[in-house]
Amino acid sequence: MTVYLRQVAAIVRKDLLLELRTRERLAAMGGLTVLVAILFHFAIDQGLVRMQQLAAGLLWMTILFGGMLGMGRTFEMEREHGAIQGLLASPIPLDGIYLAKVISNFVLVALIEVIALAAYWLFFGFDYGGDPLLLAGVLAVATLGVVAVTTLFSAISAQTTMGQTLLPILIFPLLVPVVIFGVTATGRIFASRPAQEVEGSLYLLAAFAVLSLAAGAILFRYVVEE
Amino acid sequence: MSLTRIRWMAMVLGVLGVAGVLVLHWLVFFWVGTERTMGIVQRIFYVHVPSAWVTFLAFGITALCGAAYLWLRDERLDWAAQSAAEGGLVFGAIMLTSGPLWAAYAWGTPWTWEPRLTLTLLMWFVFLGYFLVRASAEDRLAGKRMAAVIGVLGALLIPLVHVSVLWFPSLHPQPVVLNIDEGPTLDSDMLITLMVGLLAFTLIFFSIVIFRYGLEHLRYQHALETRDQPRAA
Repeated sequence: MTVYLRQVAAIVRKDLLLELRTRERLAAMGGLTVLVAILFHFAIDQGLVRMQQLAAGLLWMTILFGGMLGMGRTFEMEREHGAIQGLLASPIPLDGIYLAKVISNFVLVALIEVIALAAYWLFFGFDYGGDPLLLAGVLAVATLGVVAVTTLFSAISAQTTMGQTLLPILIFPLLVPVVIFGVTATGRIFASRPAQEVEGSLYLLAAFAVLSLAAGAILFRYVVEE
Repeated sequence: MSLTRIRWMAMVLGVLGVAGVLVLHWLVFFWVGTERTMGIVQRIFYVHVPSAWVTFLAFGITALCGAAYLWLRDERLDWAAQSAAEGGLVFGAIMLTSGPLWAAYAWGTPWTWEPRLTLTLLMWFVFLGYFLVRASAEDRLAGKRMAAVIGVLGALLIPLVHVSVLWFPSLHPQPVVLNIDEGPTLDSDMLITLMVGLLAFTLIFFSIVIFRYGLEHLRYQHALETRDQPRAA
């Protein structure tokens, strides 16, 4: 078990170190996140609707699009230099590779969530109300579900000629539960509703995360096998 | 199963299915009673419900055969999964076009985010992804495996998607006009017509699937035969 964890940690460390040095994906994801917020400002007539009412929905759309942009490149670097062969041939179990990729993607998406929250606060003065711990919990659980599904599918889209173009078509139909319960929960937290009203959504988000993580860990081997 | 047997089976099912559809149309246009509140457009029901049933059936077959393919790696399972998925895509399209046509008159709006509508629309997109991945895979074998993974994952997550959209309306009031559940229970003539529709569509579906399966079989044989022969100079 400890060996397994060390192997996973090694890949996570490698991914995050590379990201720290190149900042390729983070720059693109973070940039897109802020730009989407800017576009929403011009796309929505604020004389008609109050942005605060749309806060949760806008936040989640931004996270999904920004996250997809970066996560689509999960296996890009390894493929470009043929390193994927080495990774797959290494004694690390395939589900370990999947879990490591999920963890490093999770860190990236968590970072852009912070950027998104900051950008919306700066541009629109969103009132995030509620319990910040609960908000962090909901965001973390929902993100885990998104990342688990997207990481698996980025391994699929990376092996097609359509590449990243394919990714949204594959994942969006399956991510509907995260959008529904993520938006419901964050919306209620922003409105400072009691925690009991968020509980149900949180449990379903957790169920989605656990199911997609387990399915991803099992199915990943069929996607990458040679 | 030999190719001739496959063709015969598909042919017989197809003829029976087409005959069933002809009978269905006769029943729909001349025999079955007109529903009281929705009027004549309700007859779309007899095409809509069977195509929805077949779409779900196709989805199930694709997922099961996909899972079995990942496990056993038998080419025939992949052919079956692919053929069923194609049938599902076609019948799903029938369902998704006949539904709004009916709804535009019966509900006064072509589309509503009612759970079943949302679910079937999303399912259709999962099918679409299934074929996009197959078609664009750099490696043919990987394409088969990845498509199977999509089929399996779709079948795993679709129930959750369904639960989510089922509970989603609790946030928004559901328009009362759109409630089709509280209609009168089905009259016996309507039930018979529906059953004929279900049978006919299922037969046609299996006929198409088996024909399609035969085509894959033929392609496979062709690939084997051309591989053995020396290339013409």
